[in-house]
Amino acid sequence: MARLPVLSLALLLAGFVGCKKPEQKPSPESSPSVSGSLAVVDPPPPTPSNLVGDAERGRSLVEKFECSRCHEGTGVPAATFEKHCVTCHQDIWNDKFKAAPDKIAKWKKTVVHYLNAPSFESANQTLDPAFIQSFLMKPRKLRPNMVSSMPRLRITEQEAADVAAYLTKGRKPATERPTGDATRGRAVLENKACGTCHVFTGVPELPVKPTLATAWVPANDPIELAPDLRFARERIGFSELTRWLLDPAQVKPGTKMPKMGLTEQEAKDAATYLLSVKLEPPVKKPVPPRLPVLDRKVTFDEVDTQVLRKTCRHCHTNPDIARGDGGPGMTGGFGFAPRKLDFSTYESTNGGLLDLKGERMSVFSKTKDGTPLLVAGLIARQREEAGEIDPDVRGMPLGLPAVSAEDVQLVETWIAQGRPQ
Amino acid sequence: MKKLGAMVMVAVSAFSVVGAVANDAKACGGEWVPAVEIDHRPEGIARAEKALKKGDHAQAAAMIVRMMPHVKDLKAKKDGTLVARAQRILALAVARNNGALPIKKELPDYVQGTWLGKTAKDRSANLEWSVAALRKLHSMKSDDAAVQSDLAEALAKVEKYRGEAKEILEKLAEKDLVSSPEAYATLADLRSAAGDAEGQKVALKRCESMAKSASVCRVNA
Repeated sequence: MARLPVLSLALLLAGFVGCKKPEQKPSPESSPSVSGSLAVVDPPPPTPSNLVGDAERGRSLVEKFECSRCHEGTGVPAATFEKHCVTCHQDIWNDKFKAAPDKIAKWKKTVVHYLNAPSFESANQTLDPAFIQSFLMKPRKLRPNMVSSMPRLRITEQEAADVAAYLTKGRKPATERPTGDATRGRAVLENKACGTCHVFTGVPELPVKPTLATAWVPANDPIELAPDLRFARERIGFSELTRWLLDPAQVKPGTKMPKMGLTEQEAKDAATYLLSVKLEPPVKKPVPPRLPVLDRKVTFDEVDTQVLRKTCRHCHTNPDIARGDGGPGMTGGFGFAPRKLDFSTYESTNGGLLDLKGERMSVFSKTKDGTPLLVAGLIARQREEAGEIDPDVRGMPLGLPAVSAEDVQLVETWIAQGRPQ
Repeated sequence: MKKLGAMVMVAVSAFSVVGAVANDAKACGGEWVPAVEIDHRPEGIARAEKALKKGDHAQAAAMIVRMMPHVKDLKAKKDGTLVARAQRILALAVARNNGALPIKKELPDYVQGTWLGKTAKDRSANLEWSVAALRKLHSMKSDDAAVQSDLAEALAKVEKYRGEAKEILEKLAEKDLVSSPEAYATLADLRSAAGDAEGQKVALKRCESMAKSASVCRVNA
């Protein structure tokens, strides 16, 4: 029942983006099916999909999308240092990166993203293939304490099914119903202080809410990686979750999830609560208002300092001054063709990007509603964070927090003023 | 005598000790430090790029020629190298000064070569070099609109290439890809020469909205 609003939204979005088939169908309303006094619902049915994933194709897609630039456990070799986001960023924090100390100190102030990424080790025991498929099609913010999130790839539903089949080694979606006591399960979560690392949105707040107010240190890894528990029911079945809660490292060696010393019954109860407690609809992040253009003059230097340098340049820069890799938005990567969009200078910014046919186009060219493409990309990311996917414009920055309304306003003003130097 | 012998022995011993320790350079007051050769050219070229950006074309050109007196004859093997960047700066400075760089006071006589553009022949040679250098960069980065804009600027300064320059800039302008106010100023000039007064106005307006100083837009004025 609680899934209904979420699923309705998914359907609405699916219609909006013009998908041929919705990713999820509304589950029939169901009455509480497990013991305990809490309002509970059946776990959502596995995402119906007519698509059968091909694991072999999935492997080549994992290579194409360069999943190993961030994730371990993909079964393909890790990316080289120059291309490995997590290793590179962690090296900066651990003072292992070969650069002058003053540069390292400067970078530490801004390198707060891609310091961790979940491993796919034992994904066949911890992840439902349907979840991977839907998540790849419509990435969401799963980990509240992680700055970065899964980028929205240029991927088809069939490709997503193939990747899911590969990562989960062709396992079938779980269908087992929880058999524990949800009320006791809630108590287990509270007694074991699961809220120290996990957020569980949609239910009364778990005691000890985590925050990452301090700078990143390796000790923060478990908190950063801890997912919002509301997604557990989409990701894992009852038996798998019970096994996981009993001994996480046995299921996934090297996991940051500690063994909590649960009895089998406690694990079943906790799993039951996680998978079947009634959830409040997710709180939708509001799309920031689009502010009017400013009256004062805005120069490229200001836009560069405030937005391009901070947000765009890491993926869109001159490869000759960036270890030969201008980033995925320049020289290609994560399955994206080289778009050759370089924000490193005023001239290169004006020089535009390659369209999908390989023709140069301006990054200021107008989209359907007359918004300059650069602005449209920034706004699209704000909308993606609110769950609204624009099929025509990929939100930027990819997989990172959207820029503020004020930053969009600055860029839009600069463009409206004729892009002064 | 015995005393002298003892002193000699002590001196020799001391020398031996010093000599022995000297092999371990750390004991000699510091580690052996190899001569550190710092290549100042990357910073110098970055400064020259900034000078060019500020409109100090002559200063930018002088910095390049001082650092690389033989820059004209160097071959950029790939885009983005120091040579390629240096040649771009110099080529644009030459074009923006119509082949005659006002850098007499900036450079010793023996490296001035033809850069001052004292004669028509020198100016022509300088502009031809500018075109050739930017063509070379264009061949390395043929789909780069900024490089095309730079090339068109230089082409427009040589009579026989003005048609080519206009063709490049018109194509870029059609897609809003003209990368610099200087290139828009060049387009305005080319349109004016072709009798396209309306087009000239449009290009000038674009130049003025982009440029820090309106003087940039008065090409050939």
